Amino acid sequence: MLCRTAAALSTGCAGLALLTWILVASDFSHPATGALLYLIVIVLLSITGNIAAGLGLAIIATFCLDYFFTEPRFSFQINATEDVIAVAAFALTAVAIAVLAGRARRSGETRALKDRLQLIIDTIPAMVWSISPNGSSDFLNKRFRDYTGLSLDDIRDWARADALHRPWMNALHPDDRSMDDWSAALAPGEPFEKEARLRQFDGEYRRFLLRFVPLRDEWGRIVEWYAKSTDIEDLRRAEEELRRRDARLRDAQMALAHANRVTTTGQLAASIAHEVSQPIAAALTNANAARRWLGAAPPDLEEVGQALDRIIRDGIRASDVIGRIRALVRKVPPRHDQLDINEVTREVIALTRGELRSSGASLQTKLADGLPLIPGDRIQLQQVMLNLILNALEAMNGSSQTARELLIGTEQDGSGSVLVAVKDSGPGLKPESRDRLFEAFYTTKPNGMGMGLSICRSIIEAHGGRVWVTADQPHGATFRFTLPQQQEAAC
Amino acid sequence: MATAKPLISVVDDDESMREAVRGLMKSLGYTAEAFASAEEFLSSRQVPRTSCLIADVQMPGMTGLELHRHLVASGKTIPTILITAYPDDSMRARALEDGVVGYLSKPFDESDLLACINSSLPADAP
Ligand SMILES: Nc1ncnc2c1ncn2[C@@H]1O[C@H](COP(=O)(O)OP(=O)(O)OP(=O)(O)O)[C@@H](O)[C@H]1O
Ligand SMILES: [Mg+2]
Repeated sequence: MLCRTAAALSTGCAGLALLTWILVASDFSHPATGALLYLIVIVLLSITGNIAAGLGLAIIATFCLDYFFTEPRFSFQINATEDVIAVAAFALTAVAIAVLAGRARRSGETRALKDRLQLIIDTIPAMVWSISPNGSSDFLNKRFRDYTGLSLDDIRDWARADALHRPWMNALHPDDRSMDDWSAALAPGEPFEKEARLRQFDGEYRRFLLRFVPLRDEWGRIVEWYAKSTDIEDLRRAEEELRRRDARLRDAQMALAHANRVTTTGQLAASIAHEVSQPIAAALTNANAARRWLGAAPPDLEEVGQALDRIIRDGIRASDVIGRIRALVRKVPPRHDQLDINEVTREVIALTRGELRSSGASLQTKLADGLPLIPGDRIQLQQVMLNLILNALEAMNGSSQTARELLIGTEQDGSGSVLVAVKDSGPGLKPESRDRLFEAFYTTKPNGMGMGLSICRSIIEAHGGRVWVTADQPHGATFRFTLPQQQEAAC
Repeated sequence: MATAKPLISVVDDDESMREAVRGLMKSLGYTAEAFASAEEFLSSRQVPRTSCLIADVQMPGMTGLELHRHLVASGKTIPTILITAYPDDSMRARALEDGVVGYLSKPFDESDLLACINSSLPADAP
């Protein structure tokens, strides 16, 4: 600042000196001419430089006028009274001009700054407005006006007619206008955010994120609120689309899983028929026995009772099998139950007993005691085990290995998760296929769909677990999966 | 042996089925014993005492037909009735060829079973 003043002042002095030299050299001795020309230099300096430089130059010019142009010339002495008055008048005029010119320049600068700020605020990619504490809005930027199609006059008229009803709110969707909500948001006097729909000039509504910040005076009272809005319509639409796609994907996955369950269950048809016909045959046999005991003389009611007990057991067993099949093929949304994995395993084994028998495989189970319950969907987990067991049996059926052994085990792993293993004595895995087993549609079977393992994986992962396979020596494969006690991911 | 009731042995891996058949035999006045597998039967002391054997065809380990053949081969032929949940004509033909008394599919008719038993027991049986 001081530097700039000094620079301006020296420029002014140089101008003054040049002028004086020209005048003195060319013998112009009329004081009025000198005074006028001096004033011009002062005006120029005040407009381009600053007030301090202007004032400084005014004083120097006064001395110059006295020295060079007032009789006696080339001395600071003044003899005539009117000359004293003239010099004093010049000094006053020069000072006044310096001040006025400086002010004029300043206000020009302020206006330029204001225009620039206005331009910035009208151009930034957001709608900005201010709200006085009584709710009326005295400023709305151009974007707001362009978007809403409202003119400044409209807004002013509203404010006048409707001061208590926060006229800017007329641009909000009627459902987002609840005074209670807005009062509650404004009441704490803290910055806040709110999502709301704003009406566009053509009547269309778009969603915006509105941010409000209060401006306080030195006593902490709120002078004004500033509001800024960001258009989030496209973002929200994209999110919704993503959610819809997600839901569609989930539906498709569920449909696929269901189809796989139906097919798998269909594959079990012969075994299931056996599983049901066995207790029915037993029940009929028991009924025959009961009739014999009744027909004996005297009837042996004790034996009749025992036969009936067996019939009831058989009936329950048959209907249990049917219930389980029904559950498998029914289309139901996934459930979240606390499951005893051993119980789930036993039920699956019961369903596959016929399959095991007809493939001549022996089954060994190693179900650990005291396993924690795990959250999950019973049917989906049964489907996983069913797929793994059927794959194991199919692998063993196709292999020349004579001993067909299936081992199903459960245990708790180091992290507290429950681990289930299905181990077979089939041909095992070729390294090149090992990485692809879990891919959808990867199959080496003439009638395979290649969906079994890919569905297993999506089910296990939806339960927050992991499924993998290892090749056993000298042959065979073990599929394992884990189920955590707590689930991070929703299933 | 003529004074004792004939012993009928039932071999079936399915518990409800073997209990049911044993119960029916009892109601018909026979003594009946049940075994969960061919191996269990063979290692029991009942083999020489058994007058009639009722065995399931499909069992893990030795099947009903294999059991019959094993008994024949070891010279301890017992009249055998096979029952199966998976009726199969060629299997039936082979079984009858091997001298099986009856080949019934589950669920079987009580009278069919009785007829088979009667034909396998000496005439003085109950
Ligand atoms: N226990 C196993 N031993 C050896 N190979 C296996 C075993 N389980 C699966 N595989 C291989 O993985 C492939 C994919 O299995 P997956 O269950 O996904 O489909 P699939 O059984 O072929 O058909 P789908 O289950 O749809 O009827 C199988 O075709 C087979 O080659
Ligand atoms: Mg499969």
